[in-house]
Amino acid sequence: MEMPTAERVHEAIFAVFDDLNEDRAPDQQLPKSSQTLLFDKEGKLDSLAFVTFVISLEGEIQQRFGKTVTLANEQAMKRVESPFRSVQTLGDYIVELLDSD
Amino acid sequence: MNINALNGVLLADFTIDPLAARLSNGNEFPAAPCEVAPFDQVLPILMNPSHPVWQEKNFAVIWSRPERVSPAFQAILNLESPRTESIVGDVDAYCDLILATAGRVEATFVPTFTMPSFHRGLGALSTRPALGAAYWLNAMNSRLMERLSSAANVFVLDANQWVQTIGTAASNPKLWLMGKLLFPPELLRLAASDVKSTIRALCGLSKKLLILDLDETMWGGIVGEVGWQGVSLGGHDAFGESFVDFQKSIKALTRTGVILGIVSKNDESVALEAIESHPDMVLRKSDFAGWRINWRDKATNIAELVEELNLGLDAAVFIDDNPAERARVRESLPNVFVPEWPEDKLLYSKALKELRCFDRVSITKEDLSRTEMYVAERQRNETRSSALSMDDWLASLELKLQVELLNEGNIKRATQLLNKTNQMNLKTRRFTEEEFIHWAELPGNAVYCFRVLDRFGDYGLTGIASISANGDAGIIEDFLLSCRVMGRGVERGMLHVVLNALSQSGVLKTTVQFIKTDRNKPMLDYLVTESELMASQDSGVFEWNHSKAYEIPVHVSLELDDDVRLQMGSLTSPVAQ
Repeated sequence: MEMPTAERVHEAIFAVFDDLNEDRAPDQQLPKSSQTLLFDKEGKLDSLAFVTFVISLEGEIQQRFGKTVTLANEQAMKRVESPFRSVQTLGDYIVELLDSD
Repeated sequence: MNINALNGVLLADFTIDPLAARLSNGNEFPAAPCEVAPFDQVLPILMNPSHPVWQEKNFAVIWSRPERVSPAFQAILNLESPRTESIVGDVDAYCDLILATAGRVEATFVPTFTMPSFHRGLGALSTRPALGAAYWLNAMNSRLMERLSSAANVFVLDANQWVQTIGTAASNPKLWLMGKLLFPPELLRLAASDVKSTIRALCGLSKKLLILDLDETMWGGIVGEVGWQGVSLGGHDAFGESFVDFQKSIKALTRTGVILGIVSKNDESVALEAIESHPDMVLRKSDFAGWRINWRDKATNIAELVEELNLGLDAAVFIDDNPAERARVRESLPNVFVPEWPEDKLLYSKALKELRCFDRVSITKEDLSRTEMYVAERQRNETRSSALSMDDWLASLELKLQVELLNEGNIKRATQLLNKTNQMNLKTRRFTEEEFIHWAELPGNAVYCFRVLDRFGDYGLTGIASISANGDAGIIEDFLLSCRVMGRGVERGMLHVVLNALSQSGVLKTTVQFIKTDRNKPMLDYLVTESELMASQDSGVFEWNHSKAYEIPVHVSLELDDDVRLQMGSLTSPVAQ
């Protein structure tokens, strides 16, 4: 199993991007950058794509790091700054979840 | 169905947008743009043929959960005591609504009912008729398949196969609770692939020819080095058995109309001896329509073999264990489909069975005997080289042309031929079975189907000509012939039949208008050689004035069935009415 560093977690996020991009139109592709906005006012994901993304990412993390995480939980929703705003914030949040496990 | 102008509608009682995205944007051909109908409105929209979602659509996907189709099934899931007798009636009502869509779109796809894999119900009691969800799910699916099989343009797709392929990830309650998504994207991709492969089959784009390498593909080892006695095939080891399994899977494909060829770098005599002599070979020489076994470039050999078999490169699939050979063929012949192939020989049969490129929407009598037809063709060509002249050879064939009208017995094959013939095709019109029958029944119209036989065998239904009579003016609308019988006088025999039918119905002048496509130059070349037809001033238009009979070649004998005899001279033209 891989060690869950920020870099490795970003790689997991980008692997899910690759998967989702297969079904997205050319102008809707998710760029593999830590600055990519996800579920935000200017984010790339609508609510349906967000659900698919979050659940696919939970599976990817389980596969890569051997740990089960629940990304969309009450704690995440209560945060002042949403962890789902960008790749960067989401990566930080996942590392935090994996470290606290 | 025009594969370049697909426009579909998806009806579901769960979120199906990812399927629409996959159909529209996925890399797999064809792109099939579609509209997602309002959520959970399946039955109201099915009941309303004038609903806007039906406008200008040529295909539909209708996908419901079993508990939405049948309240009694929902009661079973709730472990209540339902009136199970109403379940079949609920499915019938659902099927009736789906069958009504057959006239609104050219193709309707209906996935079977599924249940989430974690839904264990009552354990062993799930298979009992009284309360068993598994029992009733099977019953609902059986009924669905049985009822919908009555429509030629409604296709039930096996959703359980997609669920099995994905495994436990096929059912995730979080997807449902957070987004009303019944399935993950990877399952919907399998669904999209099955919809697309069926559309390709409907448009006549199923692959027809499987070309195989020999060493390490059909058997283990190099036959030129170890002899046929030394190759790994059959016996009591996993690898030997896997090659036998693979050959059995290939043999099964031939029963759907796929023909086989060999392209292998080998000494021909050594390789053919192995094919004929090895006791565990499933495929023998008589299973192959042709081969190129030599030391030349495989791409060149494939191109030659495909041409010899009168097929297009886009009809061919090439399987080879060697990645370098696969890359070479892909690069030289991009129209030939060269699937990636597993390194592990134990997975060959699985890899073949997973290919969708051979999918069919029907299997006709001609499909079942296609290999025999090609073997007979090889024998014909052998006699051709020994005949003194072309006329001698044609006379030696004892060609017979059997003519029948389009009818229930030949509609499947006729539609298949209409939709897949490209080269010898006057206008390349494409019809569904329903559309073709409807056209044939219009006043003044007739569709003739031609079966060709000779002393070597039966080619089956290989030609179609359709005509329209309007007062003293006639039109040949469709004129198409399988490449396998081109150039033997059959074309002229067909013209003789249809021009004679138009003459007897009072037609004085018949027009034959050629519509050019990328691939039907052989048709134009033929029309130009028929010097008795007058080329009009308009490009591609030919005429026949019926002042004399259009003679059939002496080496072709004609057999008209009773319906054709009765119909001759009685085409009901709109002007005459």
